[in-house]
Amino acid sequence: MSSEIFVDAINGLGAVVLLTSIFLVASKRMVSFVRTFAVQSLALGLFAAIVAYHMGADHIYIVAVLTIALKALIIPTFLTRTIERIHVKREIEPLVGVPMSLLICGGLAFVGYYVSEPIIAGGNAITKNCFAISLAVVLIGLFLMISRKKAMTEIIAILVIENGLFLGAISIAYGMPLIVEIGIFFDVLGAVLIMGIYAFKINQTFETLDTSFMRRLRD
Amino acid sequence: MLLEVLLIIPLVIAVLSYSIKNRALVQWMMVAGGASSFVIAVLLGLEVWSDGPYEHSIWYVDQLSVYMLCIITFVALMVATYSVSYIRHDHEEKEIGTRQLKMYHIFVQIFLFTMLVVVSSNNMGIMWIAIEGTTLASAFLVGFYEKDTSIEAAWKYIIICSVGITLALFGTIITYASSTEVLGESSDALNWTKLRDAAPLLEPTFLKIAFIFIVIGYGTKVGLVPMHTWLPDAHSQAPSPVSALMSGVLLNCAFYGIIRYYIISEIRVPGFAPDLMLIFGLLSLFVAAFFILISRDFKRMLAYSSVEHMGIISLGFGIGGPLGIFGAMFHMLNHSLTKTLMFLCTGNVVQKYNTREIGEVRGMATVMPITAALFLLGALAITGSPPFGPFLSEIVIMQAGLSYGRYIVTTVYVLLLVVVFAGFMYHVSRMVFGEPTEGVTRGEIHKLSLVPMTILLSTILVIGIFMPEELTNILREVAKVVPGSG
Repeated sequence: MSSEIFVDAINGLGAVVLLTSIFLVASKRMVSFVRTFAVQSLALGLFAAIVAYHMGADHIYIVAVLTIALKALIIPTFLTRTIERIHVKREIEPLVGVPMSLLICGGLAFVGYYVSEPIIAGGNAITKNCFAISLAVVLIGLFLMISRKKAMTEIIAILVIENGLFLGAISIAYGMPLIVEIGIFFDVLGAVLIMGIYAFKINQTFETLDTSFMRRLRD
Repeated sequence: MLLEVLLIIPLVIAVLSYSIKNRALVQWMMVAGGASSFVIAVLLGLEVWSDGPYEHSIWYVDQLSVYMLCIITFVALMVATYSVSYIRHDHEEKEIGTRQLKMYHIFVQIFLFTMLVVVSSNNMGIMWIAIEGTTLASAFLVGFYEKDTSIEAAWKYIIICSVGITLALFGTIITYASSTEVLGESSDALNWTKLRDAAPLLEPTFLKIAFIFIVIGYGTKVGLVPMHTWLPDAHSQAPSPVSALMSGVLLNCAFYGIIRYYIISEIRVPGFAPDLMLIFGLLSLFVAAFFILISRDFKRMLAYSSVEHMGIISLGFGIGGPLGIFGAMFHMLNHSLTKTLMFLCTGNVVQKYNTREIGEVRGMATVMPITAALFLLGALAITGSPPFGPFLSEIVIMQAGLSYGRYIVTTVYVLLLVVVFAGFMYHVSRMVFGEPTEGVTRGEIHKLSLVPMTILLSTILVIGIFMPEELTNILREVAKVVPGSG
């Protein structure tokens, strides 16, 4: 394949990652929330695979496969199961309304581009464009974290931030060393399992998944 | 070889705790494991002292690492000994079931393992994984009592620390990106030794951005203000021995992460990292002093005191120079020992009075005189009164501030220390003196717990009065790891 197709494919998949983040912000139902996250992880995995092919770097293939298996299949399945087991209201009630949230996301994407300007200025690698996207995704993840108050949405927000960083790592350094990547996957899986267990306990104890009810500890 | 044995011990004990039915045996095994870990850490220290840093595949142990390893294993030994009676009491009182008892031992060991990996890995990525691992391993310990408040604390802990730590990952990625341009895409481009050697060639803008993310990320775990919000919740809800581990050594481990990046940043862009640490240090001291004054829960008060002391250490690094760094390193040791003592004392108080409210605890001196004496002396030590260890390290940092011309910073620092002293003494004297709270039977709660507490108090007393020559030399060697302090 010529390098132009590569650039198109890489930029296209980067755009999909950004778009899915914005869909997450607009999403009102828990199940579609998890599904959108799965799509984002799939796009990220394919992104890694294309970079691996283009660079001829075998270790990124392993990372790509792990991303798709873990973040696009295993974790979403686990989260959907937990949602089904908990049987609570499935709607997300955002603290900030959807139109306002979308506006903020637009702003955050702009900030991502603005901030990454000095970092990507010197480089000429084809993936460097995606670094701006990755920053935007991290910022949108942080915004999701503070504006959606269900335990389940907070878990996904952390995963979105992680996805953004992962995209960033591939964009500016072609991924971390393999042993580190595998360790990070292990940590993410552990974190999601523990958070899932706690989401279950929160639901048992407070009879809601809304974490803004947790205000017993204060000075 | 020694390091590998040291790392394997907690894992072996975790597996054995899972399979062995006899709980008393498991508890004493924990003590034996703690003792042998401490001995091995000291032996490793002697080896590093005579042969220089130990480097093997992904491991790297220099003077700083050994220093941290010794602190971790010593505190772990004290906590293991204390846990024997504390956990047995909880179990007898039906506070916890047999399953939780088992989980306690397993997770404490995994928690120790992750902390040991943090301070002995060469690869900054692996260090990141291990620091995130400490959060995962201790999350269950924070939510151990499964009450609504402990679940709330555990949730906040895991969410806030995970978000913080992802920012540190971003810092790590940027560092890696800047180092691959110099070292090429090798898997050891994230090794700390390589980064240190290549530091003069790294891109300064990258290093600055990376350090900001590292301080915010690992600073969340350290409990620097304004990222400290999880800390008082988690430290007050966890079982007291776990609070002791978290305050005494976990915070140091996270700080260790910052120090490694501080060194790299100091080689390339001198002055940038210290300024940042100075700001966070003063802010932490200020906010912690305020919350200590108004606290009503004595475990939260101690948690805020940890924020304060992390602020002091951060200030030491912010002032920098041979004295500042010496003082900061020294203060880490003093804080670990003293704060462990304090949290172990509160374990006895909580089990005796069944409350964490300062207002509901009165007359400790009559109810349990030995714990009360240890608690009072510990409180004097933690607020920096002579003749205890923390007094010395706080004075060294003050001296550093004065001799490097940081007069305003030093004045604010000393004033805040006075405020903390007053607040602490007010709360503690209310608890120790006066007529005992009604309905509380007299007598120490468990005799065994007094042994580790007395050892801890004597250690800080010995440091404070005699300040062994060896310790000064050790600290000087440790401080030499940081550039500009030799």
